[in-house]
Amino acid sequence: MRPVNLTTVLLTLIVALTFQLYPWSGQGVILRPDFLLVVTLYWVIRAPHLINVGIAWFAGLIVDLSTGSLLGQHALAFGFAAFLALLYQRRLVLFNRWQLTVYVFALLITERAIVLMLKLFADNENPGLSYFWPVITTLILWQLMVLMFGAPTRPRH
Amino acid sequence: MLKGVHQKLEPQESPAFFVRGPSPFSRMMFFCALSIVLMAVDSRLNYLAQFRQTFIAALHPLELIAQAPSDWGMNIRHYFTAHGRLLDENQALKQEAVQHKVMLQRLQMIELENAHLRTLLQGNAPIIPKAILGEILHMGRDPFSNVIVVNRGTHHDVKAGQAVVDAEGVIGQVTRAFPFSAEVTLITDDNLAIPIQVERNQLRAIAFGEGKSNTIDLPFLPTSVDIKVGDRLVTSGIDGVYPAGLAVATVTEVRQSPDSPFAKIVSTPIAGVNNHLQLLILSLPESQQSAMPTEATQVKTETAKPAPTTSPSPTAKPSIENKPNASR
Repeated sequence: MRPVNLTTVLLTLIVALTFQLYPWSGQGVILRPDFLLVVTLYWVIRAPHLINVGIAWFAGLIVDLSTGSLLGQHALAFGFAAFLALLYQRRLVLFNRWQLTVYVFALLITERAIVLMLKLFADNENPGLSYFWPVITTLILWQLMVLMFGAPTRPRH
Repeated sequence: MLKGVHQKLEPQESPAFFVRGPSPFSRMMFFCALSIVLMAVDSRLNYLAQFRQTFIAALHPLELIAQAPSDWGMNIRHYFTAHGRLLDENQALKQEAVQHKVMLQRLQMIELENAHLRTLLQGNAPIIPKAILGEILHMGRDPFSNVIVVNRGTHHDVKAGQAVVDAEGVIGQVTRAFPFSAEVTLITDDNLAIPIQVERNQLRAIAFGEGKSNTIDLPFLPTSVDIKVGDRLVTSGIDGVYPAGLAVATVTEVRQSPDSPFAKIVSTPIAGVNNHLQLLILSLPESQQSAMPTEATQVKTETAKPAPTTSPSPTAKPSIENKPNASR
Protein backbone atom coordinates (compact mmCIF):
# COMPACT_ATOMS: atom_id res chain seq x y z
CA MET A 1 0.00 0.00 0.00
CA ARG A 2 1.87 3.04 -1.25
CA PRO A 3 1.30 6.39 0.45
CA VAL A 4 -0.95 8.75 -1.49
CA ASN A 5 -0.80 12.49 -1.87
CA LEU A 6 -3.72 14.87 -1.65
CA THR A 7 -3.72 15.81 -5.36
CA THR A 8 -4.49 12.25 -6.50
CA VAL A 9 -7.27 12.04 -3.96
CA LEU A 10 -8.83 15.33 -5.03
CA LEU A 11 -8.43 14.48 -8.73
CA THR A 12 -10.22 11.15 -8.31
CA LEU A 13 -12.96 12.89 -6.34
CA ILE A 14 -13.47 15.41 -9.15
CA VAL A 15 -13.55 12.63 -11.76
CA ALA A 16 -16.09 10.80 -9.64
CA LEU A 17 -18.19 13.97 -9.43
CA THR A 18 -18.09 14.29 -13.21
CA PHE A 19 -19.37 10.73 -13.54
CA GLN A 20 -22.01 11.53 -10.94
CA LEU A 21 -23.18 14.42 -13.12
CA TYR A 22 -23.46 12.23 -16.25
CA PRO A 23 -27.05 12.50 -17.52
CA TRP A 24 -28.64 9.08 -17.18
CA SER A 25 -31.84 8.32 -18.95
CA GLY A 26 -34.17 5.38 -19.38
CA GLN A 27 -34.00 2.22 -17.31
CA GLY A 28 -30.30 2.64 -16.46
CA VAL A 29 -31.24 5.10 -13.73
CA ILE A 30 -32.25 2.21 -11.49
CA LEU A 31 -28.70 0.84 -11.55
CA ARG A 32 -26.74 4.08 -11.44
CA PRO A 33 -23.86 3.62 -8.98
CA ASP A 34 -22.85 6.21 -6.39
CA PHE A 35 -19.53 7.23 -7.93
CA LEU A 36 -18.65 9.90 -5.42
CA LEU A 37 -19.60 7.76 -2.42
CA VAL A 38 -17.44 4.81 -3.40
CA VAL A 39 -14.40 6.98 -4.14
CA THR A 40 -14.82 8.86 -0.87
CA LEU A 41 -15.15 5.65 1.15
CA TYR A 42 -12.10 4.17 -0.59
CA TRP A 43 -9.94 7.12 0.41
CA VAL A 44 -11.39 7.24 3.92
CA ILE A 45 -10.25 3.65 4.46
CA ARG A 46 -6.98 4.04 2.55
CA ALA A 47 -5.88 7.48 3.74
CA PRO A 48 -7.82 8.61 6.83
CA HIS A 49 -5.23 11.31 7.53
CA LEU A 50 -6.24 13.05 4.27
CA ILE A 51 -9.95 12.30 3.91
CA ASN A 52 -12.04 12.36 7.01
CA VAL A 53 -15.67 12.76 7.99
CA GLY A 54 -15.58 16.45 7.06
CA ILE A 55 -14.62 15.96 3.41
CA ALA A 56 -17.04 13.03 3.09
CA TRP A 57 -19.76 15.28 4.46
CA PHE A 58 -18.84 17.96 1.95
CA ALA A 59 -18.95 15.43 -0.89
CA GLY A 60 -22.46 14.51 0.23
CA LEU A 61 -23.40 18.18 0.23
CA ILE A 62 -22.25 18.45 -3.40
CA VAL A 63 -24.41 15.43 -4.26
CA ASP A 64 -27.33 17.19 -2.57
CA LEU A 65 -26.73 20.32 -4.61
CA SER A 66 -26.39 18.48 -7.90
CA THR A 67 -29.50 16.36 -7.39
CA GLY A 68 -31.52 19.33 -6.17
CA SER A 69 -32.63 17.47 -3.07
CA LEU A 70 -32.93 18.95 0.40
CA LEU A 71 -29.53 20.25 1.51
CA GLY A 72 -27.92 18.00 4.10
CA GLN A 73 -29.62 14.69 3.30
CA HIS A 74 -26.80 13.03 1.39
CA ALA A 75 -24.28 14.99 3.46
CA LEU A 76 -25.53 13.35 6.64
CA ALA A 77 -25.50 9.90 5.04
CA PHE A 78 -22.00 10.34 3.58
CA GLY A 79 -20.68 11.63 6.91
CA PHE A 80 -22.19 8.73 8.80
CA ALA A 81 -20.85 6.14 6.35
CA ALA A 82 -17.40 7.72 6.59
CA PHE A 83 -17.68 7.60 10.38
CA LEU A 84 -18.50 3.89 10.30
CA ALA A 85 -15.53 3.32 7.98
CA LEU A 86 -13.22 5.30 10.27
CA LEU A 87 -14.48 3.60 13.41
CA TYR A 88 -12.93 0.28 12.38
CA GLN A 89 -10.38 1.69 9.94
CA ARG A 90 -7.35 0.21 11.73
CA ARG A 91 -9.02 -3.18 11.77
CA LEU A 92 -10.26 -2.89 8.18
CA VAL A 93 -6.74 -2.64 6.77
CA LEU A 94 -6.04 -6.05 8.30
CA PHE A 95 -8.99 -7.64 6.49
CA ASN A 96 -8.56 -9.54 3.28
CA ARG A 97 -10.13 -8.25 0.09
CA TRP A 98 -13.45 -10.09 0.33
CA GLN A 99 -13.99 -9.35 4.00
CA LEU A 100 -13.46 -5.70 3.18
CA THR A 101 -15.94 -5.92 0.30
CA VAL A 102 -18.56 -7.26 2.69
CA TYR A 103 -17.92 -4.37 5.06
CA VAL A 104 -18.17 -1.85 2.22
CA PHE A 105 -21.44 -3.49 1.18
CA ALA A 106 -22.76 -2.84 4.69
CA LEU A 107 -21.57 0.78 4.50
CA LEU A 108 -23.32 1.34 1.16
CA ILE A 109 -26.55 -0.19 2.46
CA THR A 110 -26.34 2.07 5.53
CA GLU A 111 -25.86 5.17 3.39
CA ARG A 112 -28.84 4.30 1.19
CA ALA A 113 -30.98 3.51 4.22
CA ILE A 114 -30.19 6.86 5.83
CA VAL A 115 -31.01 8.78 2.66
CA LEU A 116 -34.22 6.77 2.26
CA MET A 117 -35.24 7.49 5.84
CA LEU A 118 -34.56 11.22 5.51
CA LYS A 119 -36.44 11.35 2.19
CA LEU A 120 -39.44 9.62 3.75
CA PHE A 121 -39.35 12.12 6.62
CA ALA A 122 -39.44 14.89 4.02
CA ASP A 123 -42.72 13.55 2.54
CA ASN A 124 -41.25 11.81 -0.50
CA GLU A 125 -42.78 8.75 -2.12
CA ASN A 126 -41.41 5.36 -1.11
CA PRO A 127 -39.51 4.03 -4.14
CA GLY A 128 -39.55 0.45 -2.84
CA LEU A 129 -36.71 -2.03 -2.68
CA SER A 130 -35.45 -1.11 -6.16
CA TYR A 131 -33.85 1.86 -4.43
CA PHE A 132 -31.16 -0.49 -3.15
CA TRP A 133 -30.21 -1.95 -6.55
CA PRO A 134 -27.40 0.58 -7.15
CA VAL A 135 -25.52 -0.91 -4.18
CA ILE A 136 -24.55 -3.85 -6.41
CA THR A 137 -23.17 -1.67 -9.21
CA THR A 138 -21.42 0.47 -6.62
CA LEU A 139 -19.73 -2.65 -5.24
CA ILE A 140 -18.50 -3.48 -8.76
CA LEU A 141 -17.13 0.05 -8.86
CA TRP A 142 -15.39 -0.62 -5.56
CA GLN A 143 -13.60 -3.58 -7.12
CA LEU A 144 -12.60 -1.30 -9.98
CA MET A 145 -11.13 1.20 -7.50
CA VAL A 146 -9.21 -1.65 -5.84
CA LEU A 147 -7.89 -2.72 -9.26
CA MET A 148 -6.81 0.79 -10.14
CA PHE A 149 -5.35 2.02 -6.85
CA GLY A 150 -4.59 -1.20 -5.01
CA ALA A 151 -6.40 -2.77 -2.09
CA PRO A 152 -6.46 -0.49 0.97
CA THR A 153 -5.31 -3.43 3.09
CA ARG A 154 -1.87 -4.36 4.34
CA PRO A 155 -0.06 -6.86 2.13
CA ARG A 156 0.57 -10.27 3.77
CA HIS A 157 4.11 -11.45 4.29
CA MET B 1 8.47 8.19 48.31
CA LEU B 2 7.37 5.62 45.84
CA LYS B 3 3.90 6.00 47.13
CA GLY B 4 4.10 9.77 46.58
CA VAL B 5 5.17 9.38 42.93
CA HIS B 6 2.37 6.93 42.38
CA GLN B 7 -0.15 9.38 43.76
CA LYS B 8 1.20 12.11 41.51
CA LEU B 9 0.97 10.04 38.33
CA GLU B 10 -2.37 8.41 38.89
CA PRO B 11 -4.73 11.27 37.92
CA GLN B 12 -2.94 11.80 34.60
CA GLU B 13 -4.65 10.49 31.47
CA SER B 14 -2.64 8.33 29.12
CA PRO B 15 -1.87 10.21 25.89
CA ALA B 16 -3.34 8.86 22.65
CA PHE B 17 -1.08 6.36 20.92
CA PHE B 18 -1.92 7.71 17.46
CA VAL B 19 -2.50 11.38 16.85
CA ARG B 20 -5.70 11.56 14.81
CA GLY B 21 -7.21 14.89 15.79
CA PRO B 22 -10.75 14.89 17.14
CA SER B 23 -12.24 11.42 17.42
CA PRO B 24 -14.39 10.18 14.52
CA PHE B 25 -17.38 10.12 16.81
CA SER B 26 -17.13 13.79 17.75
CA ARG B 27 -16.57 14.71 14.09
CA MET B 28 -19.60 12.66 13.10
CA MET B 29 -21.77 14.28 15.78
CA PHE B 30 -20.66 17.75 14.68
CA PHE B 31 -21.43 17.13 11.01
CA CYS B 32 -24.70 15.36 11.78
CA ALA B 33 -25.82 18.40 13.73
CA LEU B 34 -24.68 20.65 10.89
CA SER B 35 -26.63 18.70 8.28
CA ILE B 36 -29.76 18.61 10.41
CA VAL B 37 -29.55 22.39 10.78
CA LEU B 38 -29.04 22.68 7.01
CA MET B 39 -32.05 20.49 6.30
CA ALA B 40 -34.23 22.52 8.62
CA VAL B 41 -33.06 25.81 7.10
CA ASP B 42 -33.46 24.52 3.55
CA SER B 43 -36.94 23.11 4.04
CA ARG B 44 -38.44 25.91 6.14
CA LEU B 45 -36.59 29.08 5.15
CA ASN B 46 -35.53 30.47 1.81
CA TYR B 47 -31.99 31.56 2.61
CA LEU B 48 -30.17 28.94 0.58
CA ALA B 49 -31.64 29.58 -2.89
CA GLN B 50 -28.87 32.00 -3.85
CA PHE B 51 -26.18 29.64 -2.54
CA ARG B 52 -27.66 26.80 -4.60
CA GLN B 53 -27.77 28.96 -7.72
CA THR B 54 -24.16 30.08 -7.50
CA PHE B 55 -22.99 26.57 -6.78
CA ILE B 56 -24.84 25.07 -9.73
CA ALA B 57 -23.42 27.79 -11.97
CA ALA B 58 -19.95 26.82 -10.75
CA LEU B 59 -20.73 23.18 -11.48
CA HIS B 60 -21.77 23.97 -15.05
CA PRO B 61 -18.38 23.27 -16.74
CA LEU B 62 -18.20 19.85 -15.06
CA GLU B 63 -21.74 19.14 -16.23
CA LEU B 64 -20.73 20.03 -19.78
CA ILE B 65 -17.80 17.62 -19.58
CA ALA B 66 -20.08 14.93 -18.23
CA GLN B 67 -22.54 15.44 -21.06
CA ALA B 68 -19.95 15.51 -23.80
CA PRO B 69 -19.76 11.73 -24.42
CA SER B 70 -23.52 11.34 -24.76
CA ASP B 71 -23.63 14.39 -27.03
CA TRP B 72 -20.96 12.86 -29.25
CA GLY B 73 -22.85 9.59 -29.28
CA MET B 74 -25.99 11.44 -30.32
CA ASN B 75 -24.11 13.26 -33.09
CA ILE B 76 -22.65 10.03 -34.43
CA ARG B 77 -26.04 8.38 -34.36
CA HIS B 78 -27.52 11.36 -36.19
CA TYR B 79 -24.76 11.12 -38.77
CA PHE B 80 -25.52 7.50 -39.51
CA THR B 81 -29.32 7.75 -39.68
CA ALA B 82 -30.32 6.40 -43.03
CA HIS B 83 -30.89 8.80 -45.87
CA GLY B 84 -34.14 7.06 -46.73
CA ARG B 85 -35.53 7.50 -43.26
CA LEU B 86 -34.80 11.19 -43.35
CA LEU B 87 -36.54 11.48 -46.71
CA ASP B 88 -39.58 9.68 -45.36
CA GLU B 89 -39.60 11.91 -42.33
CA ASN B 90 -39.26 15.00 -44.51
CA GLN B 91 -42.21 13.86 -46.62
CA ALA B 92 -44.34 13.24 -43.57
CA LEU B 93 -43.41 16.59 -42.07
CA LYS B 94 -44.26 18.39 -45.29
CA GLN B 95 -47.63 16.74 -45.38
CA GLU B 96 -48.22 17.69 -41.77
CA ALA B 97 -47.16 21.27 -42.48
CA VAL B 98 -49.70 21.53 -45.31
CA GLN B 99 -52.43 20.20 -43.07
CA HIS B 100 -51.45 22.64 -40.36
CA LYS B 101 -51.41 25.52 -42.82
CA VAL B 102 -54.96 24.76 -43.82
CA MET B 103 -55.93 24.64 -40.16
CA LEU B 104 -54.01 27.88 -39.54
CA GLN B 105 -55.98 29.68 -42.22
CA ARG B 106 -59.16 28.75 -40.42
CA LEU B 107 -57.57 29.71 -37.09
CA GLN B 108 -56.60 33.14 -38.37
CA MET B 109 -60.15 33.75 -39.51
CA ILE B 110 -61.52 32.57 -36.21
CA GLU B 111 -59.02 34.69 -34.29
CA LEU B 112 -60.02 37.77 -36.25
CA GLU B 113 -63.63 37.00 -35.59
CA ASN B 114 -62.88 36.41 -31.93
CA ALA B 115 -61.01 39.69 -31.62
CA HIS B 116 -63.88 41.47 -33.30
CA LEU B 117 -66.40 39.90 -30.95
CA ARG B 118 -64.23 40.77 -27.98
CA THR B 119 -64.02 44.41 -29.00
CA LEU B 120 -67.77 44.41 -29.43
CA LEU B 121 -68.11 43.08 -25.88
CA GLN B 122 -65.29 45.38 -24.70
CA GLY B 123 -63.37 42.42 -23.26
CA ASN B 124 -59.62 42.21 -22.92
CA ALA B 125 -57.68 40.72 -25.79
CA PRO B 126 -56.40 37.22 -24.99
CA ILE B 127 -52.74 37.23 -24.10
CA ILE B 128 -50.55 35.12 -26.36
CA PRO B 129 -47.48 34.27 -24.33
CA LYS B 130 -43.95 34.33 -25.67
CA ALA B 131 -42.05 31.08 -25.55
CA ILE B 132 -38.46 29.93 -25.28
CA LEU B 133 -37.41 26.67 -26.89
CA GLY B 134 -35.55 24.45 -24.46
CA GLU B 135 -34.09 20.98 -24.48
CA ILE B 136 -34.23 18.35 -21.76
CA LEU B 137 -30.78 17.82 -20.24
CA HIS B 138 -31.63 14.92 -17.96
CA MET B 139 -34.54 13.46 -16.06
CA GLY B 140 -33.27 14.59 -12.68
CA ARG B 141 -30.72 12.70 -10.65
CA ASP B 142 -32.97 12.16 -7.71
CA PRO B 143 -35.15 9.04 -8.02
CA PHE B 144 -37.64 10.51 -5.56
CA SER B 145 -38.80 13.59 -7.41
CA ASN B 146 -40.65 14.03 -10.69
CA VAL B 147 -38.32 16.62 -12.06
CA ILE B 148 -36.61 17.21 -15.38
CA VAL B 149 -33.77 19.63 -16.01
CA VAL B 150 -33.74 21.78 -19.15
CA ASN B 151 -30.88 23.69 -20.74
CA ARG B 152 -32.37 27.17 -20.39
CA GLY B 153 -31.83 29.28 -17.29
CA THR B 154 -31.90 32.79 -15.91
CA HIS B 155 -29.43 33.80 -18.64
CA HIS B 156 -32.19 33.09 -21.15
CA ASP B 157 -34.83 34.89 -19.05
CA VAL B 158 -36.35 31.78 -17.55
CA LYS B 159 -37.92 32.39 -14.17
CA ALA B 160 -39.39 30.10 -11.56
CA GLY B 161 -43.11 29.70 -12.06
CA GLN B 162 -43.20 29.59 -15.85
CA ALA B 163 -45.28 26.95 -17.58
CA VAL B 164 -43.57 24.34 -19.73
CA VAL B 165 -45.33 22.62 -22.64
CA ASP B 166 -44.47 20.37 -25.54
CA ALA B 167 -46.24 19.79 -28.85
CA GLU B 168 -48.92 17.62 -27.24
CA GLY B 169 -49.65 19.34 -23.97
CA VAL B 170 -48.55 20.70 -20.62
CA ILE B 171 -45.43 19.17 -19.08
CA GLY B 172 -45.14 21.15 -15.88
CA GLN B 173 -43.80 24.27 -14.29
CA VAL B 174 -40.34 25.71 -13.72
CA THR B 175 -39.66 25.45 -9.99
CA ARG B 176 -36.02 26.47 -9.79
CA ALA B 177 -34.11 28.57 -12.30
CA PHE B 178 -30.32 28.37 -12.32
CA PRO B 179 -28.04 30.48 -14.54
CA PHE B 180 -27.71 27.89 -17.32
CA SER B 181 -30.39 25.37 -16.49
CA ALA B 182 -33.79 25.16 -14.89
CA GLU B 183 -35.65 22.53 -12.95
CA VAL B 184 -39.12 21.68 -14.25
CA THR B 185 -41.51 19.88 -11.92
CA LEU B 186 -43.81 17.58 -13.88
CA ILE B 187 -47.58 17.76 -13.52
CA THR B 188 -47.47 14.23 -12.12
CA ASP B 189 -45.56 15.47 -9.04
CA ASP B 190 -47.74 15.41 -5.95
CA ASN B 191 -46.73 18.96 -5.03
CA LEU B 192 -48.03 20.47 -8.25
CA ALA B 193 -51.63 21.48 -8.90
CA ILE B 194 -52.99 22.72 -12.19
CA PRO B 195 -56.37 24.37 -12.85
CA ILE B 196 -58.15 22.47 -15.59
CA GLN B 197 -61.38 22.43 -17.51
CA VAL B 198 -63.16 19.48 -19.08
CA GLU B 199 -63.11 20.20 -22.80
CA ARG B 200 -66.54 18.64 -23.40
CA ASN B 201 -68.62 20.62 -20.91
CA GLN B 202 -66.30 23.41 -19.64
CA LEU B 203 -66.43 22.08 -16.09
CA ARG B 204 -63.63 23.63 -14.03
CA ALA B 205 -61.57 21.73 -11.47
CA ILE B 206 -58.08 21.51 -10.06
CA ALA B 207 -55.88 18.54 -10.89
CA PHE B 208 -53.15 17.22 -8.62
CA GLY B 209 -50.25 14.94 -9.46
CA GLU B 210 -50.07 11.57 -7.74
CA GLY B 211 -46.33 11.22 -7.29
CA LYS B 212 -44.78 8.05 -8.60
CA SER B 213 -47.51 6.53 -10.70
CA ASN B 214 -47.52 8.93 -13.70
CA THR B 215 -51.19 9.79 -13.21
CA ILE B 216 -53.15 12.87 -12.31
CA ASP B 217 -55.93 12.98 -9.75
CA LEU B 218 -59.06 15.15 -9.70
CA PRO B 219 -60.04 15.16 -6.04
CA PHE B 220 -63.11 16.56 -4.28
CA LEU B 221 -65.55 16.20 -7.14
CA PRO B 222 -68.99 14.79 -6.28
CA THR B 223 -69.95 11.33 -7.48
CA SER B 224 -72.58 12.87 -9.74
CA VAL B 225 -70.01 14.91 -11.65
CA ASP B 226 -70.28 14.83 -15.43
CA ILE B 227 -66.87 13.41 -16.31
CA LYS B 228 -66.53 10.29 -18.45
CA VAL B 229 -63.65 8.07 -19.39
CA GLY B 230 -61.95 9.54 -22.44
CA ASP B 231 -62.68 13.19 -21.61
CA ARG B 232 -59.88 15.57 -22.43
CA LEU B 233 -58.78 17.95 -19.70
CA VAL B 234 -57.38 21.30 -20.82
CA THR B 235 -55.99 24.23 -18.85
CA SER B 236 -58.61 26.74 -17.82
CA GLY B 237 -56.20 29.68 -17.68
CA ILE B 238 -57.63 31.19 -14.53
CA ASP B 239 -54.36 31.01 -12.62
CA GLY B 240 -52.44 33.26 -15.00
CA VAL B 241 -49.60 30.75 -15.32
CA TYR B 242 -50.89 28.34 -17.91
CA PRO B 243 -52.57 29.88 -20.95
CA ALA B 244 -56.09 28.57 -21.49
CA GLY B 245 -56.78 25.60 -23.73
CA LEU B 246 -53.59 23.57 -23.48
CA ALA B 247 -54.14 19.84 -23.30
CA VAL B 248 -53.27 18.34 -19.92
CA ALA B 249 -54.62 14.81 -19.62
CA THR B 250 -57.24 12.31 -20.66
CA VAL B 251 -59.49 10.65 -18.12
CA THR B 252 -58.77 6.94 -17.89
CA GLU B 253 -60.81 5.86 -14.92
CA VAL B 254 -63.86 7.11 -13.02
CA ARG B 255 -64.65 5.16 -9.87
CA GLN B 256 -67.44 5.69 -7.41
CA SER B 257 -67.00 4.07 -4.05
CA PRO B 258 -70.10 3.84 -1.87
CA ASP B 259 -68.34 5.03 1.28
CA SER B 260 -67.02 8.28 -0.17
CA PRO B 261 -68.95 11.36 -1.26
CA PHE B 262 -66.29 12.07 -3.89
CA ALA B 263 -65.59 10.32 -7.14
CA LYS B 264 -62.14 8.93 -7.77
CA ILE B 265 -61.08 10.26 -11.16
CA VAL B 266 -57.75 9.15 -12.57
CA SER B 267 -56.27 10.60 -15.74
CA THR B 268 -52.99 10.23 -17.58
CA PRO B 269 -51.01 13.17 -18.94
CA ILE B 270 -51.05 13.75 -22.68
CA ALA B 271 -47.62 15.35 -23.03
CA GLY B 272 -44.91 12.83 -23.85
CA VAL B 273 -42.07 13.74 -21.50
CA ASN B 274 -40.20 10.57 -22.31
CA ASN B 275 -40.62 10.79 -26.05
CA HIS B 276 -38.84 13.91 -27.19
CA LEU B 277 -36.23 16.36 -26.05
CA GLN B 278 -37.57 19.73 -27.16
CA LEU B 279 -40.05 21.70 -25.13
CA LEU B 280 -41.36 25.25 -24.86
CA ILE B 281 -41.04 27.44 -21.78
CA LEU B 282 -43.88 29.97 -21.81
CA SER B 283 -43.31 33.37 -20.28
CA LEU B 284 -45.50 34.47 -17.41
CA PRO B 285 -48.18 36.82 -18.65
CA GLU B 286 -49.21 38.56 -15.45
CA SER B 287 -46.65 38.32 -12.69
CA GLN B 288 -44.19 40.43 -14.66
CA GLN B 289 -44.15 44.05 -13.62
CA SER B 290 -43.88 45.18 -17.22
CA ALA B 291 -47.17 43.47 -17.94
CA MET B 292 -49.01 45.58 -15.42
CA PRO B 293 -48.59 48.95 -17.15
CA THR B 294 -49.55 47.49 -20.52
CA GLU B 295 -52.72 46.18 -18.99
CA ALA B 296 -53.38 49.59 -17.55
CA THR B 297 -52.82 51.19 -20.94
CA GLN B 298 -55.15 48.65 -22.49
CA VAL B 299 -57.86 49.65 -20.07
CA LYS B 300 -57.16 53.31 -20.77
CA THR B 301 -57.40 52.92 -24.52
CA GLU B 302 -60.60 50.98 -24.13
CA THR B 303 -62.13 53.71 -22.02
CA ALA B 304 -60.79 56.29 -24.41
CA LYS B 305 -62.27 54.63 -27.49
CA PRO B 306 -65.91 54.82 -26.48
CA ALA B 307 -65.26 58.26 -25.05
CA PRO B 308 -66.87 60.30 -27.84
CA THR B 309 -70.09 58.28 -27.75
CA THR B 310 -70.64 58.08 -24.01
CA SER B 311 -71.54 61.12 -22.01
CA PRO B 312 -69.57 60.82 -18.72
CA SER B 313 -66.09 60.77 -20.24
CA PRO B 314 -66.26 64.17 -22.02
CA THR B 315 -67.19 65.73 -18.74
CA ALA B 316 -64.39 63.95 -16.97
CA LYS B 317 -61.77 64.94 -19.51
CA PRO B 318 -62.17 68.71 -19.22
CA SER B 319 -62.06 68.41 -15.45
CA ILE B 320 -58.58 66.91 -15.68
CA GLU B 321 -57.54 69.53 -18.19
CA ASN B 322 -58.97 72.30 -16.08
CA LYS B 323 -56.73 71.56 -13.14
CA PRO B 324 -53.47 72.71 -14.67
CA ASN B 325 -55.26 75.72 -16.10
CA ALA B 326 -56.48 76.65 -12.66
CA SER B 327 -53.03 76.34 -11.20
CA ARG B 328 -51.68 78.62 -13.88
